Amino acid sequence: MRISLYLGIAACLAGMGVVLHGAMLSSRDAGFAQSANPEDAYVTDGGFVSDYFDLSYRVPEGWAQGLAGPMPSQSGYYVLGTWVPKGDFAGTILVAAQDTFFERGSSDDVKNVVAQFRQVMSTVDGMTIDREPAQVSIAGRPGYRVDFSGVGLFRSMFAIEIRCHVVTFNLTTRDAELLTSLAGSLDSLIPVRKKTSDAIPECIRDYAADNVVHRVEPQGIGLISVPVRLIVAADGSVKHVHMIRGSAAQQRNIEDAVRQWKFKPYERQGHPVEVETGIVFNLKPASM
Amino acid sequence: MFDKHRDCFERFQMPCFDIARTIMTSHFRASRVQELSVTDGSLDVSDNVGERPMETIKLARAHALAGMAAMLLGSAAWSTAALAQNVSSTSTNAAATNTNAATANAATANAVGAQSNNFRGGGGGSGGGSSRGGGTDPGVRGGDPGAGGPLQGLNDTELSFFAGAKDVFQEVDAVPNGLGPRFNLDSCSGCHSHPAVGGSSPPTNPQVAIATAAGGKNTLPSFITANGPVREARFVRNPDGSPDGSVHGLFVITGRSDAPGCNIAQPNFAAQVARNNVIFRIPTPLFGLGLVENVPDSALQASLAANAQQKRSLGISGHFNINGNDTTIARFGWKAQNKSLLLFSGEAYNVEMGITNDLFQTEREGDANCQFNATPESVIPLQAADLASPSASFQSDIELFSSFMRLTAPPTPASGAAAPVAQAAGAASQTAAASTQTTGTAGQTTGTASAASTPASTASTMVASATADVSSVMTAAAGSSTAAQPASSSTSGASVTRGNQVFANIGCQACHTQSFTTTKSQLTGQSNVTIQPFSDFAVHDMGSGLADGVTQGTANGNEFRTAPLWGVGQRIFFLHDGRTKDLSVAIQQHASRGSEANTVINNYNMLSQTDQQSLINFLRSL
Repeated sequence: MRISLYLGIAACLAGMGVVLHGAMLSSRDAGFAQSANPEDAYVTDGGFVSDYFDLSYRVPEGWAQGLAGPMPSQSGYYVLGTWVPKGDFAGTILVAAQDTFFERGSSDDVKNVVAQFRQVMSTVDGMTIDREPAQVSIAGRPGYRVDFSGVGLFRSMFAIEIRCHVVTFNLTTRDAELLTSLAGSLDSLIPVRKKTSDAIPECIRDYAADNVVHRVEPQGIGLISVPVRLIVAADGSVKHVHMIRGSAAQQRNIEDAVRQWKFKPYERQGHPVEVETGIVFNLKPASM
Repeated sequence: MFDKHRDCFERFQMPCFDIARTIMTSHFRASRVQELSVTDGSLDVSDNVGERPMETIKLARAHALAGMAAMLLGSAAWSTAALAQNVSSTSTNAAATNTNAATANAATANAVGAQSNNFRGGGGGSGGGSSRGGGTDPGVRGGDPGAGGPLQGLNDTELSFFAGAKDVFQEVDAVPNGLGPRFNLDSCSGCHSHPAVGGSSPPTNPQVAIATAAGGKNTLPSFITANGPVREARFVRNPDGSPDGSVHGLFVITGRSDAPGCNIAQPNFAAQVARNNVIFRIPTPLFGLGLVENVPDSALQASLAANAQQKRSLGISGHFNINGNDTTIARFGWKAQNKSLLLFSGEAYNVEMGITNDLFQTEREGDANCQFNATPESVIPLQAADLASPSASFQSDIELFSSFMRLTAPPTPASGAAAPVAQAAGAASQTAAASTQTTGTAGQTTGTASAASTPASTASTMVASATADVSSVMTAAAGSSTAAQPASSSTSGASVTRGNQVFANIGCQACHTQSFTTTKSQLTGQSNVTIQPFSDFAVHDMGSGLADGVTQGTANGNEFRTAPLWGVGQRIFFLHDGRTKDLSVAIQQHASRGSEANTVINNYNMLSQTDQQSLINFLRSL
């Protein structure tokens, strides 16, 4: 028990270090944001700060952090944070992100995403679409909102696209007024990075498919698909490897290999720029 | 914006391990987690699973071919269920957080597992705030389960084969038949018996009696009680801290009159419990598994993708437990770790009963003084056994077990509670509440159905006849009970219908997918049948409260297969370790740190008490 406590404290301090370091750097150096990962959000009772998504959000007074969500999924789905009221259980806020690189058939067009979601919800028995999908501004970005209700629950979903992720704010309440209030809290969403000349990487799906000029295959991938996000430097070298899911051994093997890859540099308007892309290392049957 | 210097507990209001989960970079996480897990065993290391030896697979395939030939006539068999790990298994993957588990919340007060604070799991939570009081589980629904018998529509040969297989499934074995040296029970049907043969744990635990049967000297482990669930025990870690995860037999044959000279000891369960190193599994119901087996992977994949947008609005993802040998979806067992019914049978026969067989030929206990039979102890007979079915008489036990599972009918819900459990694809009409779920699936499988050669008239024999009435679902009974509840309120029908709507609205059906359609079947009348298992057969992260720390296949220590809900109205014990008899507790236990179900449970907790009750009534109608 004592060992557990010590380890817990150690992990806590280590984790804090990463966050604090990231948070401090994020306000000074856009470079950190390029190597941050989607799940590296700084989550508290009061809201969250995400360097990766360049967002900060302050939840309404009287709300507290809910139970933590699961680890990133194989399809690159992240629960960035949840919040619930401190007293009466009158609502929830769920902020999540879906990586559009790894979800089969997914779209980074939030208009389509919200329209599909609306269609699905409209077929649920007893569900009413209270507000048809409509464009809104979220943290200065164009997004979409849809409202729906059923069995006494009133819900809104707001969606925006950031770095090839669909980021959603999912609000649920027991009364329509509270939903309006919660929706208003999204006005607190603001960017966290200072404007610099450094741009975030260009987000290009499947860039690895045709642009790897030197490739080293990872060994012993095992029984699972392992999604990986890469940031390719302007010179074509691998700058950052984000192992979204996989065992420690898989992560080690893949990262060791991918770090040796060389890409064809990507140019925008005649200038080489960094690229963010995804690749999935698929399992292999045992007979192979 | 935030005070960066406050203490982490104050700031995050959760254990530091969770902070690490939330914010660490993956690179940091990987190295850090490894380091911690070895010492403490409480962080998530989804280190992979070994690969199943090819010889096992080849053998399985050979027997599968032989079994399939026999299957044309009907081959039948069983397995002691979920207890087995197969797709390799057993690297340990500690629960992400707080696996000391003693933090039982109010919801677990009635939990079966609450008898000890040293059992893993159980540290759930409702997600903060307070719910509206929650519904009350009326207890086990009365009425005919509609399960335990053969699938409707089978021909006479198949029915005869089923009867033979069921007989063998119910056989009680002693040491001369292969029992032991270590075992959990002496028959398949002892574990899988409620509400009918092939079900789950019965109200009175037969493991209590078997401990001292035939002169046995076993001490009853603390977690085995007369009114508790049948359980198997797994140790999470070996004494040196390396991952274990395997089943450790509860009992030994030492002292039995049919095992003279054997003098091995039981594991020291008290010490393992004290070390918080034991997790449990209870038997999974086996009803309707032949139909589940026959749902094509494409239908499962389409279903998982069909409502992806809705899942994302609820914090849900999920993935399949992929078999490493052929990359198809494994779907049996608590973690969907078992690829086939035959493999399920063979492993359980050896692991749960200690009977070596065609698939698992080696005794797990090697003490020379406890070996009383030639091995494998159960093989294909060269002389016909004395079964009613001539073809069944030439099958090995495990083939008969798997065929029993393949041929046994699924449960039927209370009349009017939901759509029939199984019906012909051509006649299928989706229940309103599940329309979201079934749309994509139906679309995927209709093509298969129309391309199949099975006449609709044959398939239509699968339309289930309800055997119990909705009114037998009692509303607002005072506490759950093992005894089946009688009919009660005349408003139950409306409540159940409303509960079905609630089930869909709050997102339960996002994982508990209502229906699938089977593909062409070797069995008469079983092609293109729509079934209502209420499961997507994917594995989901269920959080620290349910985590057992055992990795099996591609399911890590936090992940479990969505438990099929068909027949849940007549289940006594819930969740993988049987920790509760109370359905409302089982619902709340879906929420804990890291669980994909947290938002759905939040939705449940926001419902009116009437709607919470309706949901529970609906579930008890299944």
